[in-house]
Amino acid sequence: MNVVINGTVTAVDGVSSVTSLLASQKVKMPDMVSVELNGEILDRSLFESTLLKEGDRVEFLYFMGGGSASRGGRAMSLTDAQIERYSRHILLPEVGGRGQEKLLAGRVLLVGTGGLGSPAALYLAAAGVGTLGLIDADVVDLSNLQRQIIHSMADLGHPKVESAANKMRALNPDVRVSTYHARLTAANALELLKEYDFVIDGTDNFPSKFLVADACHFAGKPYSHAGILRFDGQTMTVRPGVSACYRCVFNAPPPAGAVPSCSQAGVLGVLAGIMGALQATEAIKYLLGQGDLLTDSLLVYNALKTTFRKVGLKRNPKCPLCGAAPVITELKDEAPAVCDLRKAPGG
Amino acid sequence: MTLTIESRLVKAMLQRALEAAPQEACGLCGGRAGRVTEFHALTNTDASGEHFTMAPEEQFKAVRAMRVSGAAMLAIWHSHPATPARMSEEDLRLAYTPDTVYLITSLARPEKPELRGFTVSNGRAEPVDIEEVP
Repeated sequence: MNVVINGTVTAVDGVSSVTSLLASQKVKMPDMVSVELNGEILDRSLFESTLLKEGDRVEFLYFMGGGSASRGGRAMSLTDAQIERYSRHILLPEVGGRGQEKLLAGRVLLVGTGGLGSPAALYLAAAGVGTLGLIDADVVDLSNLQRQIIHSMADLGHPKVESAANKMRALNPDVRVSTYHARLTAANALELLKEYDFVIDGTDNFPSKFLVADACHFAGKPYSHAGILRFDGQTMTVRPGVSACYRCVFNAPPPAGAVPSCSQAGVLGVLAGIMGALQATEAIKYLLGQGDLLTDSLLVYNALKTTFRKVGLKRNPKCPLCGAAPVITELKDEAPAVCDLRKAPGG
Repeated sequence: MTLTIESRLVKAMLQRALEAAPQEACGLCGGRAGRVTEFHALTNTDASGEHFTMAPEEQFKAVRAMRVSGAAMLAIWHSHPATPARMSEEDLRLAYTPDTVYLITSLARPEKPELRGFTVSNGRAEPVDIEEVP
């Protein structure tokens, strides 16, 4: 078969896919090559499945990049193994080597390592977010495993933070995982939040969600809220003092018994994965300084109907937390968790 | 090894480096038989003072333009706005393209900008002589 490779008609034998063509051209690192097929850039994920035919025009070039990076004594910190591990990130113009370094220098606290925290923790660890904190007082329960995918049978009865940390360390040794086998409270929240750049609210009850919202406000930390019940999920990102906060929208926790919890009403397991993955995406975008955060918006997802609805929000001048005349001026614990039939299994 | 570059192109690279500073600039050089006859400035998609990445679609376009004029890609160029014209650790790690010259224009000494070239083999840089011709 004859194909035009980089402008030259070339006879290639035993070549079927783009991958095999690159191999025939002695390309040593196909992951670092861009390919144009008949004038269109071909996504790298399609190299293997794209079959060539007679007369196809194939152009390939290696990734071209670099940088001075040693200014002020600061050396490029990525090792060869890291460049390979994060190559799919580094290839994205919005990430690049510099963005990956930002992720490695990033610090994210996950409040709750349950349904929402599980996917968020795994994706943030995989992405190479360098410091991840986990706070959760629960132990792994059999009823958790339907959705809390970071835990497994062998972890039953063990603290969730330790179970999660073990998986994250196994996934990516670049990540430093700090564990706090405790509840987030008004007494410990501000001290803990000081250490982090971004917070993920993966809690499963209203008092905790309001505590996270208030603590992030007082600590000035951006965070991602999410909540799930049955087939519905919602998420929003808050930049304290800049965008609408949780209390701008939901003034105070509902009365005890007014809203059922997941342990009462049930929740589709995969819903937690979708919402938790959205939260991880927000954290990554914040650390990179790329894209538009989900601020001043509430994203509402219904799994049964497969609908995403984005509701615009505005800061509430009468917000008790961030309004013109706030009535909440210090961090306090809200009333105990509402309407739990049994100990709530952490999102 | 010697790479011959027409003086107007050395000036074009410097001009591009100055325009982009404090960010790094980048581009591709084409020519024949060790003589650079064309320079294509490309977008640094990192928009950074410490890193550069070329956009693949611009790379392909530049290389096709070289082919039309009977040239081939001879060198990959970028600027160091504040550091010397040396291959940095990152430059070496990302020097995937074989059989090419890596050119760096340094603005570290604004009164005396410098253009230097290197080949890279097994992760090591070897200087290339640059001959500037009218």
